[in-house]
Amino acid sequence: MFTLWKLTVVAIKMFVRNKQAMYFTFFFPIFLMVVLGLINFDSATKFDVGIVLNAPPSAQTKQFIEGIKQVPVFEIHEGIESEERKALQDDKRAAVFIIPADLIPGPSEIKVLANANEPAESAAAVNIISGMLDKTALTLSGGANHFTVNKEEINSHHLKYIDFLLPGLVALSIMQMTIFTVAFLFVTFKEKGILKRMIATPMRPSTFVLSNVIVRLLITLIQTAIFISIAVIFFNVQIIGSYWLIALIAILGSLMFLGLGFAISGMASTVESVPVFANLIAFPMLFLGGTFFAIESFPTWLMNIAKYLPLTFLSHSMREVMTKGASFAQISTDIWWMIGWAIILVILANWTFSFEEKRQ
Amino acid sequence: MAIIEVKNLKKKYGPPAGGLTAVDNISFEVNEGEVFGILGPNGAGKTTTLEMIEGLKGITSGQAFLDGHDVSKDTRTVKSLIGVQLQSSSFFEGLNLLELLETFGALYNRKVDAMELLREVQLEEKAKSQHKELSGGQKQRFSIAAALVNDPKVLFLDEPTTGLDPQARRNLWELITEINKKGKTVVLTTHYMDEAEILCDRIAVMDHAHIIALDTTQNLLKLPGLSTSIHFLVDKPLDIEQLKAITGVTSVQSEDHTYRLTTDNSEATLSDLFKLSREAGVKLVDLQLHQPTLEDVFLKLTGHGLRD
Ligand SMILES: Nc1ncnc2c1ncn2[C@@H]1O[C@H](COP(=O)(O)OP(=O)(O)OP(=O)(O)O)[C@@H](O)[C@H]1O
Ligand SMILES: [Mg+2]
Repeated sequence: MFTLWKLTVVAIKMFVRNKQAMYFTFFFPIFLMVVLGLINFDSATKFDVGIVLNAPPSAQTKQFIEGIKQVPVFEIHEGIESEERKALQDDKRAAVFIIPADLIPGPSEIKVLANANEPAESAAAVNIISGMLDKTALTLSGGANHFTVNKEEINSHHLKYIDFLLPGLVALSIMQMTIFTVAFLFVTFKEKGILKRMIATPMRPSTFVLSNVIVRLLITLIQTAIFISIAVIFFNVQIIGSYWLIALIAILGSLMFLGLGFAISGMASTVESVPVFANLIAFPMLFLGGTFFAIESFPTWLMNIAKYLPLTFLSHSMREVMTKGASFAQISTDIWWMIGWAIILVILANWTFSFEEKRQ
Repeated sequence: MAIIEVKNLKKKYGPPAGGLTAVDNISFEVNEGEVFGILGPNGAGKTTTLEMIEGLKGITSGQAFLDGHDVSKDTRTVKSLIGVQLQSSSFFEGLNLLELLETFGALYNRKVDAMELLREVQLEEKAKSQHKELSGGQKQRFSIAAALVNDPKVLFLDEPTTGLDPQARRNLWELITEINKKGKTVVLTTHYMDEAEILCDRIAVMDHAHIIALDTTQNLLKLPGLSTSIHFLVDKPLDIEQLKAITGVTSVQSEDHTYRLTTDNSEATLSDLFKLSREAGVKLVDLQLHQPTLEDVFLKLTGHGLRD
């Protein structure tokens, strides 16, 4: 126990003092998130505004609608109520206005469905239209009665790019950190004879491996927590699902890639060949593992490969929980696949990686 | 009393290495408290022998016992009783010397006084340095300190002074002698004759996977057929036949005023030579005596030099 404890402390020290490991574990992913988060892929130059007429409009109403169409920042969509409500829920509208057929000052009421996810845009739309109504009302009734705008907020959850990106980035960082730090460390140790020196002591190799696994799992959790905090604090990302479930997924993903890291440590005989092996495996997953792009956007054949990659299960389950609040049962397929991959990779690692020199 | 017993030890490397027999059926014993040397050229099988005894390499056939424990059965017990300096080894990066020694202590499940260990190898002022910042000699001293963390009964040193300058070598010899004086058995390998002569109580000479001689250093140097040579200059020529008649002399060579005698009995030859020169009224100048060295022993035993 003393040996395990001490080795764990030592592994933490070595990790923290390794500038490269720290850079790739923390600073690079944070940098990536900040850059991608600041580029606002979602910003539209126009507000999408829906207009619903439930009956053929009167001349006055028609004129009013024409007036709305002249507003340069509006992209007007006319449709029936149910379709426009749906569009609003899908975040395709900032606001939807339900306009009575006959616009009479006083009793007439324009109903506004505002998208709560785009408060600034919908408020602007409401302001502009209220202003127009006021003018209309003034010309119609001499200013006594105003139209009332009845605002109803629709609370559909809006997915911005950063919301999509965060779980993928967390998954990707877990993969990079575990594979690279394990493979570099152990191949260096092997090459420099450090492993041999260690097995000249009564220490059990498994103790040393275990201490490094514990440290990587701890770092995985810290990494995940830091990324989520930054996304929540600076980019207003909402985490819908359970943090416990996120932690569980992170650990499972980490275990899977630890297996891969040790397997690579066994296959690479020199430190120079580590990035070759690691990139051969990690690089395709970088693009295909659902970090930056949804795999549904791939051609079918590619999607069929991509959906079985270890990283895909990790980023998918992470995304389901973070953005949709998925429960354990809802992501159990991903969980089982990750467990399966972890078992396969650990067996592979056992087969390729050994403390002893080969073929003794 | 034997602390190490090696019986018919054999190591065959697997087919990828061409089925090479690196150690072929060797047997020897190391006594408690001695410094035992394994001397031999590159590739003789020294490292392989040590690593089998240390439990680092599998044994193809034969047995090795350390303090009564079979190394292939009680490997962990054996490892806890020995200290090992590998021929080449480095240490974790990012840790200073104190932290490294504490870590090594932990591998033996022990708390160690790391500073005291560093003091023993005169590295206390480097306590906060990293291993990679040390000089070659300091690195070797540090790896000896690391081999001492478990207060081992036997210390194995694989070519402790290879690549070091003469000053650093002498320094290390002193350290090894000191450690031995504290009661630890030391087993070392070397290609250096002077090192073996100075440090070792007994020497096993290894060549091509075999032990070709094993004895105390003094006895090896008295091996029949080894001769001391005597060089000198003279002011007047001496009679070659008379020189040849001197006790112990085996050959005489002369050139101008220089003579070279070889003898298998240096004391007798010298006293006779002085007597002869006095009687002949010849003055001997610049007399030099070349004792046989282990180099000669090796040459004699194998027919080839240590570095061929
Ligand atoms: N892991 C290995 N696989 C295959 N052959 C090996 C291995 N290690 C050593 N050998 C071979 O075994 C022979 C003995 O090697 P060993 O390292 O024991 O020699 P040595 O006496 O220590 O030499 P040196 O003085 O150069 O250190 C050499 O021919 C070497 O090539
Ligand atoms: Mg060697």
